[in-house]
Amino acid sequence: MLPAVLLFTAVYLYPLSRLVAWSFFTPAPSLRHYRALLAEPAYLTAFANTVTLSVSVTVTTLVLGYPVAYLMTTLSPRARAVVLACVLVPFWTSILVRTFAWMVLLGRNGLLNGALVALGLVTSPVALIHNAIGVQIGMVHVLLPLMILPLYSVMVRIDAAWLRAARSLGAPPPQVFLHVFLPLSLPGIGAGCALVFLSSIGFFVTPALLGGPKQITIAMLIDLMINDLLNWGLGAALALMLLVVVTVLFVLFQRALGLDRVWGAA
Amino acid sequence: MSRIALRAVAGVVLAFLLLPIVIIVPTSFSASAYMEFPPRGLSLQWYRNYFVSRAWIEPTLLSIRVAALTATLSTIVGTLAAIGLVRGRFRGRRALEFFLLSPMIVPVIVFAIGCYFLFARLKLIDTPAALYLSHSIVATPLVVVIVGSALRTFDRTLEQAARSLGAGYAQALWHVTIPILRPAILSAAAFAFLTSFDEVVLSVFLGGPAAMTLPKRMWDNVRHEIDPTITAVASVLIAASIVLLTVAELLRRAAAPTSVSAEGGPAH
Repeated sequence: MLPAVLLFTAVYLYPLSRLVAWSFFTPAPSLRHYRALLAEPAYLTAFANTVTLSVSVTVTTLVLGYPVAYLMTTLSPRARAVVLACVLVPFWTSILVRTFAWMVLLGRNGLLNGALVALGLVTSPVALIHNAIGVQIGMVHVLLPLMILPLYSVMVRIDAAWLRAARSLGAPPPQVFLHVFLPLSLPGIGAGCALVFLSSIGFFVTPALLGGPKQITIAMLIDLMINDLLNWGLGAALALMLLVVVTVLFVLFQRALGLDRVWGAA
Repeated sequence: MSRIALRAVAGVVLAFLLLPIVIIVPTSFSASAYMEFPPRGLSLQWYRNYFVSRAWIEPTLLSIRVAALTATLSTIVGTLAAIGLVRGRFRGRRALEFFLLSPMIVPVIVFAIGCYFLFARLKLIDTPAALYLSHSIVATPLVVVIVGSALRTFDRTLEQAARSLGAGYAQALWHVTIPILRPAILSAAAFAFLTSFDEVVLSVFLGGPAAMTLPKRMWDNVRHEIDPTITAVASVLIAASIVLLTVAELLRRAAAPTSVSAEGGPAH
């Protein structure tokens, strides 16, 4: 226990506390960095971008992930292992590799543009990266496994007796799904959405590589402050706000959904 | 009917998930001077480039070194913490668990900035130490979760038997508990290794020309000009992930024959 506490205090808690020091007390105790944040519309736009992006990524991954997780519960163990591998291999493949692959796929001379032109759907290549479409596709790809895994872990524990009971009482399959399976899978939906939303809100790599100047997110703004503008105070203030938002949301989600099992299952 | 629709939809989603891997690997074998899919001619030129170029090989070796140190440190620290958290009955246990698992939800960029401030003051920016210390924080929660879940299904009577035969607490731990947990511990170490090996954000902020990891090298490459050698590097990384994932899965099966692997990683 002790080694972990020592390591985490020195290399985790202490560095995070530096954010407080830099944002509130440098150069002198004041709220100047926070006032600067609220005064500049560009920063508020970045907040709005981040929230919009996170919500749309969460909804998209849910819509795409639910059928996969549901299908897994209906498969033989062997087929299920294959599907699970299709989810886990991309999940454990470097995010940078996956994002780079999307840059290749969606670029001006990429595969997708080639196909669109060849099919005659467009006459010249369309812009698919460095804009909202690119970020959306890349983020959904990176975070989809994070939705599928908790969904599946809840669905697989749904007692088939409930479904049999509904069927034997005469409910047609769509009714069984809508009134029995779907409500029982709600904890998985909650856990998956919470995980995906919390991950997207602080996401850096994919928006930075696939987004354009109009898709600047809080994470990209932090990078800009620290590495390019050398405004450490403002960077620290942004980072601290992001940390507070994520922590508060996590605690709320945990209260509402009991995310405990998600720690382990996801 | 609805079953066919379900399979079709799920099939399309799975194809979407695999698409990047399916594109990158063939592209890396292209004989053309630029990136091309499907490749018209096959060659190993990008792999040759990768393995002879110091600009790529040195970051690869550094990443392996950092990942090995991270795996060692986080496995030791995380295993001990997991034992304490699962076995311990003390005040503040839940808070401590939250604290040790929280790097899973704290955005890596936030942690990276904090580390940047600290390591800048300690003059540790652009050193391997900054990398493996910070990577260990991100990897330890995984170890705590994997080893912790193995401990929860652990048959305590084995330990009690050792104790009743006169073994001290530490002896029972070392000779009974740890050997039984070995598959889980090794699998946790594999995931910790992979987490560090693929970590981008911390390397971008804390690395530099002297501590250039493979992800940082790739990041710089992708941001400026794209050298097709990166397709070979990406393919090697994909292969490494599959190998490590398979090893970890086999170890987990050895540990708990019924469990399904769905271990979460940091997704940043």
